[in-house]
Amino acid sequence: MRAFKTVFTAGITMLVMLASCAAAQGAETISGLTFDHSMELEYAQQFSVDCYEGGYALIDIVESGRFLVVPEGAAIPEELDEDITILQQPLNNIYLVATSAMDLFRAIDGIGSIGLSGTDADGWYIEEAKEAMEKGDMAYAGKYSAPDYELILSKECSLAVESTMIYHSPEVMEKLEDFGIPVLVERSSYEPHPLGRTEWMKLYAVLLGKEAEAEQFFAAQKEQMSGVTDSANTGKTVAFFYINSNGIVNVRKAGDYVAKMIGLAGGNYIFSDLGGDDNALSTMNMQMEDFYAGAKDADYIIYNSTIDGELQSVDELIAKSPLLADFKAVKDGNVWCTQKNLFQETTGLAVMIADMHRLLSGDEVPDALTYMYRLN
Amino acid sequence: MKRTNVRYWTAFIILTVMLAVLLFWNINSGSVELSVAQIYQIIVKHTGEKTAYNIVWEIRLPRILAAVILGGALSVSGFLLQTFFGNPIAGPFVLGISSGAKLVVSLTMIFLLGKGIAVHSGTMIAGAFVGAMISMGFILLVSRKVKKMSMLVICGVMIGYICSAVTDFVVTFADDSNIVNLRNWSLGSFSGMSWENIGVMSAVIFTALLLVFFMSKPIGAYQMGEVYARNMGVNIRMFRLALILLSSILSASVTAFAGPISFVGIAVPHLVKSLLKTAKPILVIPACFLGGAVFCLFCDLIARTVFAPTELSISSVTAVFGAPVVIYMMVRKQSRSL
Repeated sequence: MRAFKTVFTAGITMLVMLASCAAAQGAETISGLTFDHSMELEYAQQFSVDCYEGGYALIDIVESGRFLVVPEGAAIPEELDEDITILQQPLNNIYLVATSAMDLFRAIDGIGSIGLSGTDADGWYIEEAKEAMEKGDMAYAGKYSAPDYELILSKECSLAVESTMIYHSPEVMEKLEDFGIPVLVERSSYEPHPLGRTEWMKLYAVLLGKEAEAEQFFAAQKEQMSGVTDSANTGKTVAFFYINSNGIVNVRKAGDYVAKMIGLAGGNYIFSDLGGDDNALSTMNMQMEDFYAGAKDADYIIYNSTIDGELQSVDELIAKSPLLADFKAVKDGNVWCTQKNLFQETTGLAVMIADMHRLLSGDEVPDALTYMYRLN
Repeated sequence: MKRTNVRYWTAFIILTVMLAVLLFWNINSGSVELSVAQIYQIIVKHTGEKTAYNIVWEIRLPRILAAVILGGALSVSGFLLQTFFGNPIAGPFVLGISSGAKLVVSLTMIFLLGKGIAVHSGTMIAGAFVGAMISMGFILLVSRKVKKMSMLVICGVMIGYICSAVTDFVVTFADDSNIVNLRNWSLGSFSGMSWENIGVMSAVIFTALLLVFFMSKPIGAYQMGEVYARNMGVNIRMFRLALILLSSILSASVTAFAGPISFVGIAVPHLVKSLLKTAKPILVIPACFLGGAVFCLFCDLIARTVFAPTELSISSVTAVFGAPVVIYMMVRKQSRSL
């Protein structure tokens, strides 16, 4: 019996060690640091986080770079690979340019760490950000292509969080790095799943040491969505678009996350055959004739007001193109308009999907939902 | 003779003093308050608090020097083309230089950056320069076949249209973000200049300016007419090639580093000639450089400080101040011809 127990215990121990080794094999070996675990990511594909003992964490963003988060007061490991950028906590006075990230910082109670914004107060629909700017806790530091370097330097900015738009202004990125300000280019727009975008809050949580808050919030988001995504497809079709000043229709491509959201909500995006792209945030312009042919029988229309301004009535929509009066959705009174805060409130994607699902299921819905309202 | 010499000296002194005043004003202006004493310590004694030191040496000084060098280059390029074509509103970009640069920049943004592939800023600069030089190459080819200067201007404008049409075609398939970025680039800016940029632009532009200065005599002869210049021994064909090449290199350098900047090349040569009351190249060329430097410094100061931290595009400001000059010049020319 005793022999059996010894062999059994040894066997279990070996299995545990083998499992750890398997996990560790995928993780980066950093001299002086002991690998602990990799962050569990359920939807996000554009980044990974390896956690090491002592609170160190290595963030790897696809095609964007690697960042080693070093806890406050801790030593920076020697013999690091040259491509790894050190982010020494605490990370204060962050210069946040990627607008979609603000809501994720808000969700983990991290807005206090942002001292500089690439959008001025009028451009924010997130109340906490607007208030912080109005109170002076957050300053407008110029847009991504022409930042106010003097202000950024004077505020002792510790990190710049940029979107991939910064690649069009490489001299800005180089200048910030020359000043010793690390630049983290976020790629949440490349996530194929809407919750993958939301899961980026876990990355920002690592930067601020708020992993517990992120896990809690994300679990709630998943909970909100689970009832929706488990249900069957309603067979209803949805057109999501806006019309620019030239009368051209801007629609989402099939691989875009809005098209995915419609799918998760139980609907079918009307242009499901429009070419996919690596970039999950992808749109294209279409002539009204093609749009009419493809979308006139859509059961629902959702007008994207974030670019063009919010519409107040169906008449205003029809004024953009009289052809729209012939659309099934217009005749049935199923025309909805997004509110301008939709794309900034990244944590609201689950709510948006849930609202779309209510709509598509034929439930009785009020004329005003969280992120969209009915046009009468 | 004495009176004219006094006028010339006065004009140069005025331009130099204005340049000095604007240099002082620019170095002391910015989002962060720095005292004159602090700036003196930083520039002369290389001492000072690290943030202030970086602001002065790595942000303000490179930007100011870029405005001086590029503004001067644009102005001289404009003078060369106005002389060459005998057209008072010929500007540095009349030969399609900026359109060629914009085409290559749009291709870079859409095909490389649109795929999320990061490029170095040097690549963007080199790309813009190559695009500008391609346009110049077409002009040089055309100039061999075309005798009339007015035809050359038309060809230049047509090449500009072709480049713009190709750019528009490419942009049709671009994401909205690429369109926005291309628009931002098209408006021009001195933001983000580095000492590395200053080094490269200085080498190219000052070499070209020196060669232009050495051409003062043949340019002066050409101003009297092509026949006169030929009789004075000027090889018209080589002269034409050299002028197109040098003015294109000057304007291409500006476009590559700062994007297209409007009106400096058109307005400043007229202002300078009005100040000097002469069109002698040996005087106008250095005066144009100083005048362009002063004009760009002034406009950049407005662009970066009036609505800070929002920065106006430099072309918007130069147009506001430069366009009235062009209008005045046209009206004055019209009233003289009557």
